[in-house]
Amino acid sequence: MAPLDRATALRILQEQEDDGRAALSEAPSLEELEDVERTVLGRRSPFAEVQRSLGDLGPDDRREVGRRANDARRALEAAAQQRRRALEAVREVALLEADRVDLTLPGRRARPGSVHPLSAVLDEIVEVFTRMGYRVVEGPEIETEYYNFDALNIPADHPARKVTDSLYLDVPGRPDLLLRTETSAMQIRTMERQKPPVHVIAPGRVYRHDTIDATHSPVFHQVEGLAVDEGITFADLKGTLLEFARAMFGPDQRVRLNPDFFPFVEPGAEAEVSCFLCGGAGCRTCKGTGWIELLGSGMVHPNVLENVGYDPERYTGFAFGIGIERVAMLRYGIPDLRLFYEGDVRFLEQFGAAG
Amino acid sequence: MRVPLSWLREFAPVEADPEALAELLTSRGLKVEGIDRPWAGLDGVIVARVIEKRPHPDSDRLTLARLETGGGEGHVAAGVANWQVGDLVPYAPPGSRVPLLPEPLGVRTLRGERSEGMICSPKELAISGDHGGILILPEGLAPGAQVKDALGLDEVVFDVEIKANRADLLSIVGVAREAAAVAGVPLRRPDTTVAEGDESAAKAATVEILDLERCPRYLARVIAGVTVAASPLRVQARLTAAGMRPLSNVVDATNYVMLEMGQPLHAFDMDRLAGSGIVVRRAEDGERLVTLDEQERLLTATDLVIADLEKGVAIAGIMGSAIAEVGDATASVLLEAAHFDRRSVIRTSRRLDLRTEASARFERGVDPEGVTPAAARAAALIQAWSGGTVLAGSAEAGAVPERRRLVVRPARASLILGQPVSTSEIVESLGRIEIPTTVSAADSVEGIDVEVPGFRVDIDREIDVIEEVIRVLGYDRVGATTPAVRQAGGAPATYERRRAIRRALGAAGFREIESYSFASSRDLELMGEREEAAVRVRNPLLADEPFLRTSLIPGLLGALRLNASRQIRGAALFEVGHTFTAGSGEDGPSERESAAAALFGRFGAAIHERTEVDVFDAKGAVDALLDAFGIRDWEILDTDQPLPFHPGRAGAIAVGGRRIGRFGELHPGVGAAFDLPGRVAALEVDVESLAAATGPERVYRDVPRFPPVRRDLAFVVDTGVPVGAMSAVIREAAGGLAGSIDLFDLYEGEPLPAGKRNVAFSVEFRAERSLTNDEVTVAVEAIAAAVRDRLGGELRSS
Repeated sequence: MAPLDRATALRILQEQEDDGRAALSEAPSLEELEDVERTVLGRRSPFAEVQRSLGDLGPDDRREVGRRANDARRALEAAAQQRRRALEAVREVALLEADRVDLTLPGRRARPGSVHPLSAVLDEIVEVFTRMGYRVVEGPEIETEYYNFDALNIPADHPARKVTDSLYLDVPGRPDLLLRTETSAMQIRTMERQKPPVHVIAPGRVYRHDTIDATHSPVFHQVEGLAVDEGITFADLKGTLLEFARAMFGPDQRVRLNPDFFPFVEPGAEAEVSCFLCGGAGCRTCKGTGWIELLGSGMVHPNVLENVGYDPERYTGFAFGIGIERVAMLRYGIPDLRLFYEGDVRFLEQFGAAG
Repeated sequence: MRVPLSWLREFAPVEADPEALAELLTSRGLKVEGIDRPWAGLDGVIVARVIEKRPHPDSDRLTLARLETGGGEGHVAAGVANWQVGDLVPYAPPGSRVPLLPEPLGVRTLRGERSEGMICSPKELAISGDHGGILILPEGLAPGAQVKDALGLDEVVFDVEIKANRADLLSIVGVAREAAAVAGVPLRRPDTTVAEGDESAAKAATVEILDLERCPRYLARVIAGVTVAASPLRVQARLTAAGMRPLSNVVDATNYVMLEMGQPLHAFDMDRLAGSGIVVRRAEDGERLVTLDEQERLLTATDLVIADLEKGVAIAGIMGSAIAEVGDATASVLLEAAHFDRRSVIRTSRRLDLRTEASARFERGVDPEGVTPAAARAAALIQAWSGGTVLAGSAEAGAVPERRRLVVRPARASLILGQPVSTSEIVESLGRIEIPTTVSAADSVEGIDVEVPGFRVDIDREIDVIEEVIRVLGYDRVGATTPAVRQAGGAPATYERRRAIRRALGAAGFREIESYSFASSRDLELMGEREEAAVRVRNPLLADEPFLRTSLIPGLLGALRLNASRQIRGAALFEVGHTFTAGSGEDGPSERESAAAALFGRFGAAIHERTEVDVFDAKGAVDALLDAFGIRDWEILDTDQPLPFHPGRAGAIAVGGRRIGRFGELHPGVGAAFDLPGRVAALEVDVESLAAATGPERVYRDVPRFPPVRRDLAFVVDTGVPVGAMSAVIREAAGGLAGSIDLFDLYEGEPLPAGKRNVAFSVEFRAERSLTNDEVTVAVEAIAAAVRDRLGGELRSS
């Protein structure tokens, strides 16, 4: 091979750079890019030949050609890198495309649980009253006639005490045991334990001798409320129920009291709330009246206060009993009491996740 | 209580339309639950006179009538023939409507004869239950007149809910008193004037009371020479509207006055009484009496009977006997108006399971002052409707009790009601409901004297009077304030821990249910429970569920079954609630709070399907539940009593050696008993014990900073060696270097010999520094030795 001269070297470098650039930028795949790189810049490439033969040139030419060769090599290496990135990007797109899935397949989810709507509603009711300063008290479901009836001013011949109304236990020597018919029994247990002021709510399960249908259940739930202090008034009862109704059913609620009778309160009152479906105009839910019955309430009967040793001249109080099922039915539009007790998951899953 | 408005308006002339009046009454505690118009379906039926009656040529059953209708004629075929030419009858021409039929009348052809509409029975017009013949109208009505107007059938009836304490409202006058008070109109009273004959009732009959406590007063009037027949149509219609069946003019008069004035009355056929003498006495033990409903009643010495001089003729305040019943042949009537002790009536009525309109009133408390006026009113009506002569005066015994007197203090009323109530407001509002007051002192603190009239048996304390005041003034007068509560509200631990359980089991994928608290013998048997250990209900709702639940599991399985029967693939449910055990001796029954969960089937999308549930689902739920109470370490002990669980796939949950519950798969027989397919897993925990086992408050520990070294260790051991025992030995032998120990393979079969299995763990070694390979190797050798020495297992690879 003839010794390299400057002009030839520069021509070769120029040719190699031009041809190499074209070849590199057109390499169709990463594998072929590697081949082209080897051809253009590898040990056997004309480029390498030129660099190996730099010794044939004089010092000035050598410097010039050497610099030129380095520049060209860097340019070609940059071109190869650029092409590689482009090809890698294409390959990645292809790989990801191949990994595409059908996003409409169902998600993989931890098995969801839920709390019962009665628990959710009870928690809300408890929240409303504990914010007002009430304390929650709890008691047994097996009660004595004393706590369930006698102390609550319910006389021995009252119809509620009949075996067709209440569920009595068959316990030798204890004919006075029954399943509590209302959480009001907790009024007595609470007042026996403490001196006024009393501000408590007592949630719990209660029992009646009722055959199961859409509006009756032998088992249901109540929250009893009791406030006893000096100077508690009937107006305080109304205001407290109004606050409860607004917290549960919305800030525009109105409350109306109508006379009602429960032996352990006097005056007794049935509280109605303005119908939250029609806003009071009258609809099917409120039977056209604009009002919905919500709960029973009244001023604690002086006989009850005397039964627990409170002086009724000094202390007055109010009590109310909220049916949790009733609130839940109104709240969610549930038409049939039985749904609460069946345990059909398609019913349960409609209500709050556990929390 | 059904209240026909026309009747109400006789005593309270209120103008308001029915809907407005209903609202007013409701606001005063007389809840109008329904407004009924029994004759809304009666339209176009007219009075007609029969002008021709002839047999149907082709039918023995039908009779043809030609009717004069006040200017026109009508022709009908009738199935009964109790009417004659000249009679006035109700005629429903084509296009008219009667209450009993859904469609308007039309023209039919009956066996070739044209029949235009029909002539009507009392039942078809909803006047009474009588369907035996055509209603013959009284003379004096004009043919062509609307029957509805002519008989006063344009009636509106209120269905009023009467509270248990308001006995006085079980009468038209009682409801009218309230209506008059709320509408501000004067109350009128029923007419109690009687035209009496010369003969004295006291000579014709005698009355003797042998038990003045149970019968404080008994009054008899005598009406001689009556003719028993049907009551006037207007009376029949009114009784029907009020919900009572018209019977005869005499009996209807007693019922009419009872409905009107609230005083139950009874009419005896005087000629069937032995000796015309009434004796009010206790029954003899074993005395028998056939009541009007033709039932023989066996009486005891606690029952009060009305007797003649020989025999019992009525059960006091409840029902008369057949023996002295008023019938068509009755000529003389002894009319009873009496006051009976309510407790006595309640006792007898409940024991005999016999409730009547009379007993319902006596049970609540009848006005003892009402005896005399009610007797007079009824005597006058019997005379008016059935003829005869009312004998002068009465035969009577006993006395009217004194009225109770109370004091109501305006200051007290103001304090209770939370708003000022003046003396004059109290006097005025009580006066409107006929409660007389006397203001003795101007000082409102002294109070107002209140005289409680006999009809208000419910008023016996000052607070009762205060309620009457605000009831008349209107509850809407009361303001809305809230009391000062000088304490922080909150819930006790018993409430909060229940919420924690709900959160934990909910987060673990279980849905909360509420089930009934009752159990059957079968439930107890499946739970492995003896019947003696369960609490029995004396009067169970369902005969086959006489116990209180001893466990929540049957309730959960019942709910699982319901879901399975509705084609749900899987369900995971939990409940928190009370369970009951009989207890022994003096202790009596006890109740404990329990938390339980159960699940069956498959969950989630089928494409990602996992295997069906098994014991490890229950175990995982136990982990989640206990973790919520800070309990990380718990152990499995053998169950004392396997049922309802599978003997090889269940255990007791123990914390610190104390058993707090059980978990596992259920015995296949239990699942089958509840029709559940496949395996069913469950757990049940005693909440008190769980709360008592609560772990210590959580304290931060440093997160490990040095990377662990992981070694996979596979052992061949006897199949009987529990994995839990192996990991415990590994941890101990690692001398504090073991972090997580994850089981990743279990294998039995070729090439392993029978009775052996391969158990492979991935063990993490870590310390608060970098571990060297040599340290780990030493630890692995120690583990291999320990597993070999203590469990007979060989390390196969590491």
